[in-house]
Amino acid sequence: MLRYALNRLILSVPTLILVSAAVFLLMRLVPGDPVVLMLGDQADPQQAADMRAAMGLDRSVFVQYGLWLLHAVNGDLGRSTTNDLPVLPLALSRFQVTATIVFAAVAIAAVVAIPLGTVAAWRQNTKADFAIVSGATLLLSIPSFWLGLLMLLFFGLKLGWVPVVGYVSFSEDAFKAALYIVLPVATLTLIEIGILTRMARAAAIDVLRLEYVAHARAKGLRESRVLRRHVLPNAFAPTLTLIGIVLGNLLGGVAVIETVFTLPGLGRLLVDGIYARDYPVVQGCMLFIATIYVVVNLLVDLAYPFFDPRVTAS
Amino acid sequence: MRAALGRTVFLGCLWAAQPALAQTPGDYTIRASLNSDIRGTQPGGNRDANTDVVMMHVLEGLVAYREDTSVGPMLAESWSLSEDGRTYTFKLRQGVTFHNGATMTAADVVWSWRRYLNPATQWRCLPDLDGRGLSKVVSVEAVDAQTVAVTLDKPSAIFLSIIARADCGQTAILHPDSVGADGQWREPIGTGPYRIGEWKRGQSIELTRFDRYASRQGEMDGFTGGKVAYAARLRFVVIPDASAARAALLGNSVDVLTDVPMAEATDLRTRPGVTLLHTPTMGVTAFLLQTRDPVLRDPRIRQAFALSLDVQQIVEGTMEGMAQQNPSIVPIRSRWHDEAQSQRPARNVAAARRLLAEAGYRGQPIRMQVNRRYANTYDAAVAAQAMAEEAGLKIELEVLDWATQLDRYTRGDYQMQSFIYSARLDPSLSYEMIAGPKETQPRKVWDNPAAQALVQRSMQVTDDAERQAILAELFKLFSQDVPMVILYNQPDFLAGRDAIQGLRAWPSGHTRLWNVWVR
Repeated sequence: MLRYALNRLILSVPTLILVSAAVFLLMRLVPGDPVVLMLGDQADPQQAADMRAAMGLDRSVFVQYGLWLLHAVNGDLGRSTTNDLPVLPLALSRFQVTATIVFAAVAIAAVVAIPLGTVAAWRQNTKADFAIVSGATLLLSIPSFWLGLLMLLFFGLKLGWVPVVGYVSFSEDAFKAALYIVLPVATLTLIEIGILTRMARAAAIDVLRLEYVAHARAKGLRESRVLRRHVLPNAFAPTLTLIGIVLGNLLGGVAVIETVFTLPGLGRLLVDGIYARDYPVVQGCMLFIATIYVVVNLLVDLAYPFFDPRVTAS
Repeated sequence: MRAALGRTVFLGCLWAAQPALAQTPGDYTIRASLNSDIRGTQPGGNRDANTDVVMMHVLEGLVAYREDTSVGPMLAESWSLSEDGRTYTFKLRQGVTFHNGATMTAADVVWSWRRYLNPATQWRCLPDLDGRGLSKVVSVEAVDAQTVAVTLDKPSAIFLSIIARADCGQTAILHPDSVGADGQWREPIGTGPYRIGEWKRGQSIELTRFDRYASRQGEMDGFTGGKVAYAARLRFVVIPDASAARAALLGNSVDVLTDVPMAEATDLRTRPGVTLLHTPTMGVTAFLLQTRDPVLRDPRIRQAFALSLDVQQIVEGTMEGMAQQNPSIVPIRSRWHDEAQSQRPARNVAAARRLLAEAGYRGQPIRMQVNRRYANTYDAAVAAQAMAEEAGLKIELEVLDWATQLDRYTRGDYQMQSFIYSARLDPSLSYEMIAGPKETQPRKVWDNPAAQALVQRSMQVTDDAERQAILAELFKLFSQDVPMVILYNQPDFLAGRDAIQGLRAWPSGHTRLWNVWVR
C-alpha cells in the first residue's frame, strides 16, 4: 500500500511540472500587464519599465519560469505582486477556509444524497423516484451565486438569523465561526446533493440489476436488509470516485460562493489574482490546487479497497 | 425620477449639514465596505483607490486638496513662493504629533521628502518631480525646526497639486521609525486622526483613533480642515460582491458603503433607513478615438461620430439622472471649468452623414473595446453604437476584461474604447493625462504639438486669468480635433445607514470617516 502510494506520488511530479508550465505560459499569453494595472492610467513608461525590471518581468519567459520552478522546489512560490505577501502561506491560510466549508458541505451532502439516490433507484420509475430526481435536477440547475444570494437575503437579511458578511475562524470563536459559515455550507451542500444523488441513484440501479441482489431477495431477505447489506455498500464505491472528483474540484476553491459570502478562501484568492494579473499568486495557487487534486485522488484510490474488496492496491 | 433624485440629494445635504457641535467622540466602531483589500500601507507605493481611502485616514502631507479641489495647507501652517517661482517655503504647524508620540519637526519633513525622492523607494510620483515631468526637486532643506524649503529647477504651477495627490500618498510626512534599520518599510507612523490597527488580509482592516491627534481649526474641507475622530474604531470590511455589500448594509452588517456601483445605487436610493449621497467626481467617462487608426485618423470621421451622439440622452439613460454631461476634460466640479467648456454641438445626424461622405467612409467596421467592470461605460457604448448607426457608422463592440482593456489602452492598441479615467484634481494634469506624443507614449490620446505646448505653458503660469485663457484655447483645439468624446464625470456614490451622521460625498471620490458619528 505504502509503495503504491509512493509510486503514485512520484508519478504525479511530471503532472505537476506540466501543470505549472502550462499555467505559467498561459498567464503570460493572457493580455494585461500587472505593472500597468498597478500604475493605472497614469503609468509613466520609464516607471513601468523600472517596475517590470524590479519584478523580473523583463527577462525571457523561460528564464522566469526556470527561476520560479527552482524556488518552487524549495517551497518558495514567490510573493504576491498585489500585497507582497509570500504565496505559499497565503494559499495555505486561504485553503483552511475553503477546506472547512467544502469538507462540511460534501460530508453532509454525501450523508443525505447516497440514501436518497439509493431509495430513488429502489423505487425506480415511481413517484418517489420522480420527486427525488426532479429535486436533484433542480438543485443541479440553480446557479450557485443565485442560490447563495437568495439564502443571504432570506436568512441573513429578512430573518436576521445569521450574519450577512464576514468570516471568523474557528480558532478565534467557534460559535461565531459556525454562524458565519452556515449559509455558504448550506448553499454548497444543496448543490452537491443534486450531483451526488444522481450519481448514487445511477450506481444503485446498476447494483440492483445484479444477480446477487436477485439471489438475496430470493432467499427471502427483507428489502431494507437487501438495500442496507447488498446495495448500499456496493453502490457506494462508484459514488466515492465522484466524491473524490468533487472534493478535488471544490477544494481548489469555490470562488463564487466565497465571493458572495465574503469568505477569504482559495478560490477568491485565485480569481482576484487573475483579475490583478498577480502572476505569483495564480501560478502558486494553481500548483497548490493541482497538488490537492493529486492527493485527494490518491486518498480516494487508497480508500477504495475498504469499500470494494474486489479492488486491491496491487 | 428627478423628484426622487432631488429628495436624495436634499436629504443628503440635510444629513451632512447636521451640526457636529453636540457630538463627542465615543467608544464605537463604524464599519465601511471596500470592494477589495488594500494593497499596502506605504504612501505612494503599491496602492489602488481602496488603499488611498483607508490611508488618507492615517497619513497627512504638507498640503491637501480642499472640497473645491484647490490645494490648502495641512501639516503646513502656510507657505510662500520665492520671487523666481522656484522655492516653496513651508511653515509647519506647531504641536503636531506622530502616532508614536514624537513631535513633528522640519527634520521629519526633510527625511520624508528625501526618502520619496530616492528612486529605491519606488514612489509612484517620483517621475513628476525628478525631471522626467515638468520640474525637478533640486533640494529639500530645513530652514529651522519649523520651516522647510523645497526648491525646484524651474517654476511649476502644479507642484502643490502633485504633492497633494492621494495616489502619491499625499507625500505624507512620516516618522523615520516607519522604516526599519535596513531601510525596509515597516508601518506608517503618520499624523492622521486614525492609525493602523488589525489588518486581516482579505477580510478587513481596522483603524483606531489617535487620541493625540492635532486637528486644524475650522470646518472639514476635503482632505484638510478640522478633523474629529468620533468613532473609536473604523473597520473597513472587504466585500467584493456588490449585491452582498448592499445586503450587508441593509442587514446592518456594515454602516457605510463606499464606491457603490450604479445598479446598487439605483436600488438603494429608494430604500428606507438608508441615505444615498452622490456628487460628480473628477474622474472622466469618455469614448477614446485612435487618431492613428487608418479609418479614424481622418478628423471628419471622428467629428461625425461626435455629431451622431445625443450625449445628453446617453448620460440620462445610463446614469438615471445622477450625472451631468460634460464635454471638457476639465471636470465639472473644478473651479477651472467655465461656461465656455460646457458647450457641445447638438446632435446632427445629417451633418454627420455629410462628413462621412466627404471623408469617403464606406461602412468599414470600427471596433470599440468595452468592459463590464464599469457597467455604465458598457451601457454608454451600447447606446452610442445605436446612435452612430443612424448616421451610417458601423461600430462593433468588443467586450474585454478591465486588465486587458487597460493594457490595450496603454499600448494604444484600439480603434475606439469606452473608457474611464481616474480623477485628476488639476486642469493641467487633466490635459496632461491625454495630450502627448503617441510615438513615445502610446497611451496618449491626443497627439497635437500645439496642444502639448499649451499644456506645458498651463503648468508654468501662476496667473489664474492667464491659465484660464490657456484652458479655453485648449478646449477649442480639443473640440476641433475630437481625439475623444467626453460624456460626463462619473459620480461617487456613497450610502450609509440613517444612524450614521456627517457623511459627505465630494469630488475626489474618497470616502472620509472622520467627522462622522453614530446617532
